[in-house]
Amino acid sequence: MSKIIGFMKHREFRTVAFLIALFLIVGLVNSDFISIGNIQNSLKNSLLYIVLAVGMSFVLLTGNIDISVGGVVGLSAAVSGMIIRDGGSIILAVIAAIAIGAFIGLINGLGVTKLKISSFIMTLGMNEIVRVIQVIYTDGQWVENLPETFKKISQLSFLGINSLAIIVIAAVIVVHLYLSNSKSGRYFAAIGDNEDGSILIGIPVNKFKVLSFVISSVCASLAGLIFASQIGFISTTAGLGIEMTVIAAAVLGGVSLSGGIGSVIGASIGAIIMTSINSALVFLKVPAFWNAAISGSLLIIIVVTDVLIARRANKKAKTERLNARISNLQEEV
Amino acid sequence: MLKKIPKWNLVLLVTLISEIVIFGLINPRFWNMNVLLNSFNDFIGIAIIAFFVTFVIITGGIDISGGSIIGLTSVVAGISSQVMGLNIWLAVVLAIVVGGLCGLLNGLFIAYAKVQAMVITLGGMLLYSGIALVLVGISGASTYEGISGFSQGFINLANGKLFGILPHSVVLFIVVFIIAYILLHRTRYGRYIYLTGINQNAAEYSGIDTRKIITSTYVLSGLSAGLAGVILTSYLGSARADFGGEYLMPILTAIVLGGTLITGGKGGVVGTALACIIVGFLKLGLQMGGVQTQYIGLAIGLLLIISVAFLGIPNFKSNVSRLLGMKKSRGGNLNA
Repeated sequence: MSKIIGFMKHREFRTVAFLIALFLIVGLVNSDFISIGNIQNSLKNSLLYIVLAVGMSFVLLTGNIDISVGGVVGLSAAVSGMIIRDGGSIILAVIAAIAIGAFIGLINGLGVTKLKISSFIMTLGMNEIVRVIQVIYTDGQWVENLPETFKKISQLSFLGINSLAIIVIAAVIVVHLYLSNSKSGRYFAAIGDNEDGSILIGIPVNKFKVLSFVISSVCASLAGLIFASQIGFISTTAGLGIEMTVIAAAVLGGVSLSGGIGSVIGASIGAIIMTSINSALVFLKVPAFWNAAISGSLLIIIVVTDVLIARRANKKAKTERLNARISNLQEEV
Repeated sequence: MLKKIPKWNLVLLVTLISEIVIFGLINPRFWNMNVLLNSFNDFIGIAIIAFFVTFVIITGGIDISGGSIIGLTSVVAGISSQVMGLNIWLAVVLAIVVGGLCGLLNGLFIAYAKVQAMVITLGGMLLYSGIALVLVGISGASTYEGISGFSQGFINLANGKLFGILPHSVVLFIVVFIIAYILLHRTRYGRYIYLTGINQNAAEYSGIDTRKIITSTYVLSGLSAGLAGVILTSYLGSARADFGGEYLMPILTAIVLGGTLITGGKGGVVGTALACIIVGFLKLGLQMGGVQTQYIGLAIGLLLIISVAFLGIPNFKSNVSRLLGMKKSRGGNLNA
């Protein structure tokens, strides 16, 4: 029993409960929404955001932020798309995308750790630079006519479930186990929770910060590949503004922007919520122009409620401790 | 006299002058006074918001919702005057008030519920631009064409010229700058803003209601975004929900390049004003020098990163020497 209560106290539990409630409530209005087909569709549509949110979680855990993911999605999608379109192999495209992500992440990380530029500014500037590089590289053209074999990758399914989804979910679980159970995985949260303390106990703080940016950018470039495969063409504005959705998804999933708190599973569920809200509105026959307003107000409401709940829980725990101490004293007397 | 001016502002001034000289040498048309004054139209919206987001950043917060408040207030002004038939000047006031209310909402959550500024203004950014889209959708106006047909008097607000020489945007730039300067650097309120940013607890202990101070900076930033929305609507002659959508980066660039610390407690509006003009002239100069518009983002992005690399750290020299490996650091710096 206590295990169940302990589980319910997890932040992820509240997020999952919200996701289930969302599906049930919308399902009451329009039962098509909880059909297997739609749930699979929602999952498929959110894959891109899940991959981005997992990468972003690493950076957020260390107490930094990565605004450049939108640009990286666009650039890696464009570069790898052009390689595939011009007859290059898919493996080469994947390697190119990962290399781009790793390089941009490395520069971000070095700027933040070595030059001590605030991560917000560093990645914001990087986002702008990467976008221009994409325009220069593609000559301002859309990358179109991707071969069918590449587009099919996102359509493959295994036992009726999208195979890409299986890979991503498996990867999320592995990453979660790494972050929560392995020694080096826990360094990320430790750095975000108390940087000075982490330095004092000998964690290579700068190394892990750089690593977090590299992971985030590599995830973004992989997301770029998923984007290219799912959409089938890459516009010059591909991925524009996606970073804000991803940050919002991570925050919805309980990842703290001040670092140290959160899990990749929470962030992934946040990503599913963000994309499900959009499709839920379609099923509720709400005009599409309500999307941003509803996501925005949900984000504010959930985050504020969460802060208030957490603060109340803290206060309650404090009073309980105090009361326990008083009763101890009385017994002694 | 010269000692009283902060060093960085002097650097900015020198940069500005050398910019004018260099771009003038490349293309002599750059020295045309009319061209320079008219270019204020391109960044007046950014400047107005940047002045007051500087306040927010000095208190240690951040406001990324300014750009989307522009779209909302533009739509509010457009719908209330063109669709509902309200007097245009009443509509302008209404739009600015709406901007202030958006700021108030941000400020209340940030100061009283103590949620991170970044999260709230991020939610606000989605929410305000979302409300703008909803308003446009309900009113039945086209999203792409926007709401147009404003009276000449309103169009003149941004396009007119004072005494036939000074464009209204320059006048507005100066007026808003002076208001911001006096508020931040010449009043007790301004000192409280700095104190809150330097050490919020200490400010609290010395009897300053820091929550009110913080909320008020967000309200000011919202009001200024409302004003910017009105000006932009007047300048372009139509109201659209997506106005200001790309302003986040230029606003922050102006503030950071202007010497305001992103962590709060240090900075000022003089730097912000100079930085706005520098970035504006840089864009103009590059365009006149034949650089394509889409490549200019590269220059701005680099400018942002490099200026912070110089500024964000108290002693740039020691960092350079560490970079070059003269002094090995182990993992991190406790004093960072």
